[in-house]
Amino acid sequence: MSGSGSRRAGRSSGRSPAPGSGVLVPGGPPLPVAGDDPGGLRELELGSRRRSRLFNTPRRAVAASTVSTIIVVAALVVLFMLAPGSANVRHQFFDLQAMWASFKGDPRQGFYSVGKAILVNIEMFCLAEVLILILALVVALIRLSRSPVLFPIRVVTVAYVDFFRGVPLIMVIYAIGFGLPALNLTFVSSQSAFVYGTASLVLAYSAYVSEVYRAGLYSVPLSQVAAARSLGLRSSTAMRYVVLPQAIRTIIPPLLNDFIGLQKDTALVAVLGTVIEANRASQIYASYAFNFSSYTVAALLFLILTIPLARMLDRTIARDRARRLAGADT
Amino acid sequence: MKLKSLAAVALVALAGAFASACGSSSPAASSSGSGSGSTTSSGSAVSCSPSAIQSYLYQKGQLTVATDSPAYWPWFYKNNPSDGVGYESAVAYGVAAQLGFKRSQVHWVVEPFDSSYAPGPKHFDFDVNEISVTPERASEVTFSTSYYDVQQALVVLKGTPIVTKHTPADLKQYVFGDQVGTTSLTFINSKIQPTHTPAVFNTLNDVKAALAAHRIAAFVTDTPTAQYIASSEIPHSEMLAQFPSTGEHYGLLFQKGDKLAVCVDHAIAKLKADGFLAKQTKKYLKLYTSVPTIKP
Repeated sequence: MSGSGSRRAGRSSGRSPAPGSGVLVPGGPPLPVAGDDPGGLRELELGSRRRSRLFNTPRRAVAASTVSTIIVVAALVVLFMLAPGSANVRHQFFDLQAMWASFKGDPRQGFYSVGKAILVNIEMFCLAEVLILILALVVALIRLSRSPVLFPIRVVTVAYVDFFRGVPLIMVIYAIGFGLPALNLTFVSSQSAFVYGTASLVLAYSAYVSEVYRAGLYSVPLSQVAAARSLGLRSSTAMRYVVLPQAIRTIIPPLLNDFIGLQKDTALVAVLGTVIEANRASQIYASYAFNFSSYTVAALLFLILTIPLARMLDRTIARDRARRLAGADT
Repeated sequence: MKLKSLAAVALVALAGAFASACGSSSPAASSSGSGSGSTTSSGSAVSCSPSAIQSYLYQKGQLTVATDSPAYWPWFYKNNPSDGVGYESAVAYGVAAQLGFKRSQVHWVVEPFDSSYAPGPKHFDFDVNEISVTPERASEVTFSTSYYDVQQALVVLKGTPIVTKHTPADLKQYVFGDQVGTTSLTFINSKIQPTHTPAVFNTLNDVKAALAAHRIAAFVTDTPTAQYIASSEIPHSEMLAQFPSTGEHYGLLFQKGDKLAVCVDHAIAKLKADGFLAKQTKKYLKLYTSVPTIKP
């Protein structure tokens, strides 16, 4: 055994090992070298196979994860139920009667339906999101432009982004919602609080989203532009058909993140008074009945909106990733 | 110390993530909450001897009284509740004296309205913050008997249409505003029944800004607050009129079932009987007793 090992070692001395043959060690099995396994994929696969030996059938894995989930959730529920003030908190936050009453609403009694109020939020963030995606893209493209003629506009966009990212949203809403009407201008001062609130959201969020766009546009390798230009595409055409599609694919997750943030920030518009959205409706019910269950209703409604969106996004990302990896293989 | 508070914040955040789906809860504060739903305030068995009162207190040896900040005139003076000036400040000190406390034993704390009815133990003996008593609210907290009977009033800008046109039918066409959490919204919706949804603002300051910017035609609040705001807070505004009483009144707010409420009720009864409340009303709220009344 040791003799054969030394013989092999002796034979290979003075020659570099052939690619893919592995490094020979006296008395040991051949070790893999870098060139042997591009990206270490085989090693990773081996690792996962080793790890899953405990749950080596899919059914066992599902059973194990189910049991562990049940145990964790049950422990948390028990902990919550056993807390000294549990009954009190359950009554104040999860009272089914109060939740239903606040969901339905009763304006004559002095409180509004949280279920109807969430429609105001939906209307606001859908309208705002469309405008944000457009305005933010325009701002990002201006910031990325290199034309000397556009210099003053570039300065304006930089100032705009700096300002609206730095100022708290609530102040933007106050300034626009209370400031513009007080100016007594013909068109600008006679809009509804809904319009002022949505406009504030658009202004503030476009500043954030334009930076997301910019990062996405920068993430596309310059060689892509060079290749497109060398094919004879004009720079605007290259941007439209080569850079933007790749950039947007990359930034869909952060865009959705901002979209979800926007959904919840619509609640801030309530400071303008006439916009009775879900959070404000909950607050009114809470002060009517001295019970916070209405906030739970609003929270559940927001979750119903965001969770499907998040799952849809996960699916999109997974599909996109699979497609890209498949492309890398060929 | 810093590490400790960091750990506490992390722990509370963790507990909060599991314990409630609602962001505004504070599970740590409520973990020692009183689960007892027993209503003791009606029992005559409650003793109001000095030693018994001591045992009901939030902090031994002092009467802890809460109100919101900023606290407005004529209820308080210059946001300083501890000077005894202003109607509610005077009432609080009057009650304290009846319970056997010296002025120096009255300790003021700030309690925003929204947290005054939060679950869990209260951090005060009673809250005096122009809180209207309603049956719904009374099932969650304990109120004292009335220390002020409230009427709703209208603040408007001079020269606007509502100044001359305010019959019950006319009133329905205007946009009204009020502060969130007040019973004024109930009043607007149930009595005036306007065609436009009323505007509900976070603070009195926001309502004032909205009126000044013509976002609302009128602002509904209790008569003393309306008078004060019209006379000194919003230029070119006036208190148009007040509405007839609906039996609404202000009460001091206690932890549900707090035995101290029984003793405070006795104290308020005495303050009524010996003319103290009438005197304070005359002193601080006299302006508001001769205000024209219109129908909603």
